Amino acid sequence: MRCPYCATQNIAGVDVCSECGADLAGLDLPEAQRGFSGRLLGDRVGDLKLARPIVLAPEVTVAEAVARMRDERSGCVFVAHADKPVGLFNERHLLTHVLRAGLDPAATPVADVMTTELVQLEPDDPPAFAVHCMVSRGFRHLAVVSNGALVGVLSVRTILAYLNDDLISG
Amino acid sequence: MSTDFDQLLVDVRLNDLPRRRVCRVEPSTTLGEVYRRLDEERGVAVLVCDGPSLLGIFTERDILYRTALEGDPDTPIGDLMTSDLVTLSSDGKLVEAIGTMSERGIRHLPLLGPRGEEAGLIGGRDVLKMIAEFFPETLLNLPPRLDQKMRRPEGG
Repeated sequence: MRCPYCATQNIAGVDVCSECGADLAGLDLPEAQRGFSGRLLGDRVGDLKLARPIVLAPEVTVAEAVARMRDERSGCVFVAHADKPVGLFNERHLLTHVLRAGLDPAATPVADVMTTELVQLEPDDPPAFAVHCMVSRGFRHLAVVSNGALVGVLSVRTILAYLNDDLISG
Repeated sequence: MSTDFDQLLVDVRLNDLPRRRVCRVEPSTTLGEVYRRLDEERGVAVLVCDGPSLLGIFTERDILYRTALEGDPDTPIGDLMTSDLVTLSSDGKLVEAIGTMSERGIRHLPLLGPRGEEAGLIGGRDVLKMIAEFFPETLLNLPPRLDQKMRRPEGG
């Protein structure tokens, strides 16, 4: 079984995670897989309705990034260097780092105002990880990465749709 | 499939849950002032009010799509706000908020009290926080960094 805390694969039925020492007793029992709580730990983020990420080069201006977000109805762009995601720019960074800082969107490279703190999830990770990052650490957009490649963006909207379609109506 | 505990979550009302502080402005407030308030108060949207009555909403998304590139900071927010509002009763259920947000594609829902008065705002992340409070074991008791590995079982 996979440890929900550090994602290490453990032998089925172990009481304690071999990597992080978390208590796994009872986690693989059918009881734990019932209801919301079990689904949040048992489902895969790769199966959620992920949005297609917009990926830009670091030298692209904020004005171009904003135009792309508006045209593609998205709230964030990823910044990649040699195909590797290195940062993220969203509507909050636009307000606090550009508009309030008095910078000219047409003259500011997106790499100057993006955050380099990227949360990367794997498709096999449970939705609980995503909700945790959003609630405890304040992230709005998480990168879903498979073999180093960005395959999707998981937003608050993605989680709301999951809660609504899969857990409440389903 | 669901448990009694899940039923509790389905029944919970927005009134029973803690509410985030709301940025309220008047229609004459300028766009530049709205930027300042949202930045300093860490708000995601302002509610445009005339006393107790709600006139409109202006969100971060409006900034991104409409005002960031061509907005004049002296424009009164009353000219920019969305006045065709989707609202929820402050006595409504959490699941209604999730349904409305998800189906209408709206992340910020103003709440109205029993007499139609403005009664706050609920956003998508507030919903996730409420859900997390129901499942602290599942959602909050994870390590601060998910890639963090404890070297020893006691974490020391």
